[in-house]
Amino acid sequence: MLTLKNLPVKNLNSYPGRTIAMLIFAGLMSAAVFGGMLIIRGLRQGLESVQSRLGADILVTPEDADNDFDAQTFLIQAEPGYFYMDASKLDQIRAVEGVETASPQMFLASATSSCCSAKLQIIAFDPDTDFTIQPWIRETFHGAQKLGKMDVIVGANVTVYDDHILRLYNNDCRVIGQFAPTGYSLDNAVYTDFETIKVLITSSFDTKLNKYQPFNTEDVISSVLVRVKNGYDAGDVANKIKNSVSGLNTTATKSMVSKIADSLSSISTSVHVFTIVILFVGALMTILIFLMMINERTREFASLRAMGASRNILSYIVIGEAVFINLLGGLIGIIASAVVIIGFSGVIREKLGIGFTPPSPRHIIIPAFFGIVVALLAAVAACLAAVKRVNRLDVSLVLKEGE
Amino acid sequence: MSLNAKSVQKDFPRAGKNSNVFTAVHPIDFNLQPGKIIEITGRSGSGKSTLLNMLSGILKPTSGQVLLDGTDLYTLDDNELSRLRNKNIGLIPQGHTALLGLSILENVMLPAILYSSSPAPRDRAMELLTQVRLEEMANEKPNELSGGELRRMAVARALLMSSQYILADEPTAGLDEENILSVMNLLRKTADNGSAVLLVTHEQEAARFADEILTMDGGRFI
Ligand SMILES: Nc1ncnc2c1ncn2[C@@H]1O[C@H](COP(=O)(O)OP(=O)(O)O)[C@@H](O)[C@H]1O
Ligand SMILES: [Mg+2]
Repeated sequence: MLTLKNLPVKNLNSYPGRTIAMLIFAGLMSAAVFGGMLIIRGLRQGLESVQSRLGADILVTPEDADNDFDAQTFLIQAEPGYFYMDASKLDQIRAVEGVETASPQMFLASATSSCCSAKLQIIAFDPDTDFTIQPWIRETFHGAQKLGKMDVIVGANVTVYDDHILRLYNNDCRVIGQFAPTGYSLDNAVYTDFETIKVLITSSFDTKLNKYQPFNTEDVISSVLVRVKNGYDAGDVANKIKNSVSGLNTTATKSMVSKIADSLSSISTSVHVFTIVILFVGALMTILIFLMMINERTREFASLRAMGASRNILSYIVIGEAVFINLLGGLIGIIASAVVIIGFSGVIREKLGIGFTPPSPRHIIIPAFFGIVVALLAAVAACLAAVKRVNRLDVSLVLKEGE
Repeated sequence: MSLNAKSVQKDFPRAGKNSNVFTAVHPIDFNLQPGKIIEITGRSGSGKSTLLNMLSGILKPTSGQVLLDGTDLYTLDDNELSRLRNKNIGLIPQGHTALLGLSILENVMLPAILYSSSPAPRDRAMELLTQVRLEEMANEKPNELSGGELRRMAVARALLMSSQYILADEPTAGLDEENILSVMNLLRKTADNGSAVLLVTHEQEAARFADEILTMDGGRFI
């Protein structure tokens, strides 16, 4: 069917090279804007959630856990680890000046063997004193969720099957919920309370899969999360803990997070610069290629005038061609970049070295809108010059020249 | 129903010599008549195309008027003039006029879709393509056609709207004997159906189809 409406698209058939080149530049522009917005958004979201999830000012770990715990990589490293210290350290830490709350945690890693569903980090909190995981649970499940015996809540990356059972050292644990993704190693963990993890640790001794010699689970903890009193500096309190209690390492969580924040801001600067360069080059190329294409076709436009097409119709055709190409190119760019970002979010996280949360469909709409708008703006810019060009045609002269 | 030129004149700036003009057409009075083919011949450069373009509404005369049913074409705004020309004037310009993205059939139907959303007149276009002996080429793209075939396509296109006025600038240039005859027969038939035809040509053979023959030289009829 030939109509005025589809004339612009039909015209493009005969200029595949230029059309494809313009599609590519439109796609690059929309992909850069869309992808850049998604990546920065994902990184920010990850940082915000990890900040609130950590919730503590100081993380205290046993000194001899160096091989299993590195504060620099703890948040982004997926490899599970576990280590223990004497439970009596907890009271000593509580006694240090400036400590407001101190809550112990216990760790365990499940094994890649038939006893367990998968190799996972298991983190247990003390329900009476915990101030980091329980708020997270309340926020996620609106307060309704309570951990019973052998119940666990899992991070976003933990696969849960229909039966909601996670096998850990031959124990069937009931998965009662799953947290939303943070983009950090917290997503790979299984969360439970002290009562349950003590059963699991005992079972790990029974299966001989624990790297440590059996011990009384009542006597140990893995780490202590500390919140400092108002008016105290976390760094100072951390030093005091280290000096007054032997065999401990302390990490101010602010320094863990601020490293992430630093690299986030340098990444977003690079993303912005990259996006601006792409937009500049893309818009310039779009305008140039489109003008060249219109210029080559002056005879076609003069012929249209000869059969009675008004300047408005010529403008409509020119605008229709540019808008069609850039709308299509913009869409392709967005789809391609969404596929890459969502499909490769693991690789992105690894390469950037900081947590990245893949966007939910709801969060794709606004960046997609801006991606399309940018591609359309380039089309408008290209049209401004091209429309002027076709409307100034000396029809009689152009038709004469082509002979 | 009339298309009249009233002392139309066209000056072009002379290349090189500044502020000097070259008069391609000296003031001419000229009428097209329904049912008649008026042929204009003359040497190359004598002003035939310039006069024809002024009559067709695509070249504004330096002075004088072109009146279609009493309306001076060059006083209309672009939308009015374009619509009027689309409906009333079938123009066959010199040279190639194909849109490369469209098939031959679509090229012929093009004038009909510019201002109307009703389906393109496929049957009418096929009938005209048959009369210029291009029916086999209907679905080809212009790149696959020869220059002569594209000329015939332009003839079919100009006749699509059954306009009152057909202005043909060397429609048979580059055609062989047989095709010249089919194009001339078609123009004759169009005139017999009531259209006024202006035919600019070098072709000797065209004379026997014309009702009146005028010769131009140096921008004047002689
Ligand atoms: N747009 C133009 N600018 C300058 N000179 C022109 C233009 N169009 C035509 N001429 C000149 O006017 C004269 C008549 O041209 P034209 O009407 O095309 O002649 P014909 O069609 O009889 O061969 C020629 O000398 C030509 O060079
Ligand atoms: Mg001529």
